[in-house]
Amino acid sequence: MVDILALAISHGLLLLAAWRLVWRPDLDSEGPDLNARKRRGPGTPMRVNRAAAGESTGESDGDA
Amino acid sequence: MLNLGLTGFFACLILLGLKRPFIWVLCYLYVDIVAPQIISWGFLTQLPTSLIAFSAAFLGWLVFDDKSDSRFTWRQGLMGVLLLYCAITTLRADYPVEALTKWSWVWKALVFAMFLPLTLRTRLRIEAVALVMVLSASALIIDGGLKTAMGGSGYGTLRIFVDNNTGLYEGSIISCVAIALIPVAVWLAKYGTIFPSDWRVWLFTAALIFACSLIPIGTQARTGLVCLGILAGLYLRTAKHRVALSAGMALAVVIATPFLPQSFLARMNTIEDHQSDQSAGTRIGVWKWTMGYAKDHPFGGGFEVYLSSKVAYDTVSTSRTGSNVTITRTPIIETGRAFHSSYFEMLGEQGYPGFALWLLLQISGLVQMEMIRRRWKDRQESHEAWAAPLAVALQLAQVVYMIGSLFVGIAFQPFILMLIGLQCGLWSYLKRIDRPAARQRFAPRPMRVPGEAAG
Repeated sequence: MVDILALAISHGLLLLAAWRLVWRPDLDSEGPDLNARKRRGPGTPMRVNRAAAGESTGESDGDA
Repeated sequence: MLNLGLTGFFACLILLGLKRPFIWVLCYLYVDIVAPQIISWGFLTQLPTSLIAFSAAFLGWLVFDDKSDSRFTWRQGLMGVLLLYCAITTLRADYPVEALTKWSWVWKALVFAMFLPLTLRTRLRIEAVALVMVLSASALIIDGGLKTAMGGSGYGTLRIFVDNNTGLYEGSIISCVAIALIPVAVWLAKYGTIFPSDWRVWLFTAALIFACSLIPIGTQARTGLVCLGILAGLYLRTAKHRVALSAGMALAVVIATPFLPQSFLARMNTIEDHQSDQSAGTRIGVWKWTMGYAKDHPFGGGFEVYLSSKVAYDTVSTSRTGSNVTITRTPIIETGRAFHSSYFEMLGEQGYPGFALWLLLQISGLVQMEMIRRRWKDRQESHEAWAAPLAVALQLAQVVYMIGSLFVGIAFQPFILMLIGLQCGLWSYLKRIDRPAARQRFAPRPMRVPGEAAG
């Protein structure tokens, strides 16, 4: 009985983990620029655009 | 019913692997740790489960997986060199037949440990391997823990699923591995994404840690108790709430002591009074013999060379009758006793070069994990904060293993080699994802020039 309980708990969790893994896209690929994208805040324009904006308004964004 | 359940589970993993071939790698980990063919008694025993899982894992990687991010680290190379060296010592072994039997599983464990890091290309895969290792071992640990709590324990008598003494089913080995797993289980509960941290995850982890601590009591393996003590000490060293944690540990010991079986207390007392203990006497005798053997055979005698060991020693027992103290010395001669230590196992079987290679493999793991910890400890963003704690968990697991190895011959234990594979995978993954950030920081910034010039 104890054997069955131990096997049921561990194997049940293993199966659930495998099932969840199958539906996770980041299992096989995280994307090439995952880190870069995460570091940039939402809605922040790309660096190229910021440089262009700085050029047109004459402002510097301070970290150059 | 049991047979059907285990066969169905194995088939499910194989089928899920058709959608995501990496599941086959996890399937091999499961088969190697739990060995369902040992527990089962029907159809599954006829199937070469291990071979099927490994072939699927390797072919799945070879055919379907993206290999552009796979890196071969120097520690994998080190395992390769150790594998070749072991092959040579097996060819010229003192006991060729017995050596071949051990070689038949050692090479598989080493090859898989070399292969595993190649598949660990994403953070989720690293977590999945850690999770499957913990959950697979938890089958044995929960069973052993429950039986210990219900009083079915004893040295060499705790029956985990079946009467078997191979792999993790051996008492000293499971008690060392169970303690080594605790840090990894805690990391999964804190940083897991497959089972995100919530009260259910923590409840299971707490119960599992309790079961892990019960395993050394159940198997009455002194090694496990030493490992548990060392791990508690290491946790206290780095814990934030040191006083509360040590008070909790002391309270747990005080509460648990009256419930421990008398046989357990008697056996643990022999840690101090080892002279009266035949098992400890044999170990010291075999270790002396090994040092002498290594001097005569510096390149080792191949696997299972302990069969030629001959150990003579006296056990000393003291008995008091009133004011009289009687000391009894019993001379004992034993032959063919196992090494009871991974360090001496390597020294005797593989000689000085093999021992040095193995030690380098272990120590480099500790150093690499420390380097990761230092480099990543200040990164607090959710996608980076997991790295340093995992390195610490793997480092602690290895320290526990290296302490346990002092008293148990588990130099090539596949579970530990998987942990080393996981370390290699983590090292290589973090090195790879760290590089774009470094490049950004130090790269020239041509795009800024027009903006600055205008400003």
